[in-house]
Amino acid sequence: MSILAYNGAAIMAMKGKNCVAIAADRRFGIQAQTVSMDFDKIFEMGPNLYIGLPGLATDVQTVQNRLKFRLNLYELRENRRIKPKTFMSMVSNLLYERRFGPYFVEPVIAGLDPKTGEPYIASMDLIGCPMETNDFVVSGTCSEQMYGMCESLWEPDLEPDDLFETISQALMNAFDRDAVSGWGAVVYIIEKDKVTKKMLKTRQD
Amino acid sequence: MASVGMMTSGFSPAMATPGMSFQDMSAEVSTGTTIMATEFDGGVIIGADSRTTTGAYIANRVTDKLTKVTDYIYCCRSGSAADTQAIADIVKYHNDFHRMEMGEEPLVKTVAHMFKQLCYDYRDQLTAGIIVAGWDKRDGGQVYSIPISGMLQKMPFCTGGSGSTYIYGFVDSQFKPKMSKEESLQFVSKAVSLAINRDGSSGGIIRLAAISKDGVERFTLTGDQLPKFYEDS
Repeated sequence: MSILAYNGAAIMAMKGKNCVAIAADRRFGIQAQTVSMDFDKIFEMGPNLYIGLPGLATDVQTVQNRLKFRLNLYELRENRRIKPKTFMSMVSNLLYERRFGPYFVEPVIAGLDPKTGEPYIASMDLIGCPMETNDFVVSGTCSEQMYGMCESLWEPDLEPDDLFETISQALMNAFDRDAVSGWGAVVYIIEKDKVTKKMLKTRQD
Repeated sequence: MASVGMMTSGFSPAMATPGMSFQDMSAEVSTGTTIMATEFDGGVIIGADSRTTTGAYIANRVTDKLTKVTDYIYCCRSGSAADTQAIADIVKYHNDFHRMEMGEEPLVKTVAHMFKQLCYDYRDQLTAGIIVAGWDKRDGGQVYSIPISGMLQKMPFCTGGSGSTYIYGFVDSQFKPKMSKEESLQFVSKAVSLAINRDGSSGGIIRLAAISKDGVERFTLTGDQLPKFYEDS
């Protein structure tokens, strides 16, 4: 089994009309065994900036801690909130520093520009190669299934409520075909003035 | 070789694989699974989950792992899907022949011995964990366990597959001899549901069958019908 599939995860982010959504499963497992169903993989990095970290669980937590450290220093020095695109470069740099002994995470970033409110999503591989898209990004053990679901369900300019439905269905039906992800899901809908966090009731198998 | 219904024997962290992980077409199709059989007063109840995996991909989420061998004898299959299907087909064939010769339905223990003979003689080439359960008019309901290397053991109840490891405590504490048919159905469906909850290689729906002198009655538990236990949130 590959190291990226040791703990199992499914994370995706989508762009909507003046909003973004990011969603993840909640399983923490060790190969086939499920240990808990309340493991957080999405972390708040700013009022409208979230990062999802699928991959090896220990690296999920370490990367999140180290990233938050760097982000705090940035905000102290610059005295302003970071732009999503700059944050993506920060994550990429952190991962590439470990080019020959990488962190086993493949992050997904979703946020709104602090000034203009423009939606932004991006993903990258475990050594920091970034990919910015205008529709959706996926990462995890069932990425092929997630690509299939997103490609069929996503359409441009979805309102927040519709975006919630779309990302929920895409994520759930993808991880239902994966033996090492699932067991609950969480969805964040990020708009200019509020962030809504919803838990999904899913199959527990 | 990938997970085969039993716990995977460790992995070696090799080179990092950048980018996607492909569906493991080189991995065997396995019924990494939870199967169970129990005697009740008048017959046997058998139960199983419905998940077949190729690596981590769920190839079939509505598999039927309860396979008919005769009208009164079923087997529960775990391990390699190909191996167990082949073995069941061969036993069915031997049994048709046996029935023609003897002129009557076979005994459960005869069928169990046929399974054992194949599983033991070809033990180095097979990965099959099978539970044979059925009813015959001489000894009533019986459960026979044939784990991986081909041992045969008659038992009042039995669990098998990768998910069974999570429910040993539950079944040992909850089993009572001479339960009624309804109590046994509850017992099996709760046990399989608990295993599905913890084992990544088990899932989907729960298939049950009750075998008695009146023949076989099949049940399916889907979605909300699965027994529920503590979940926080």
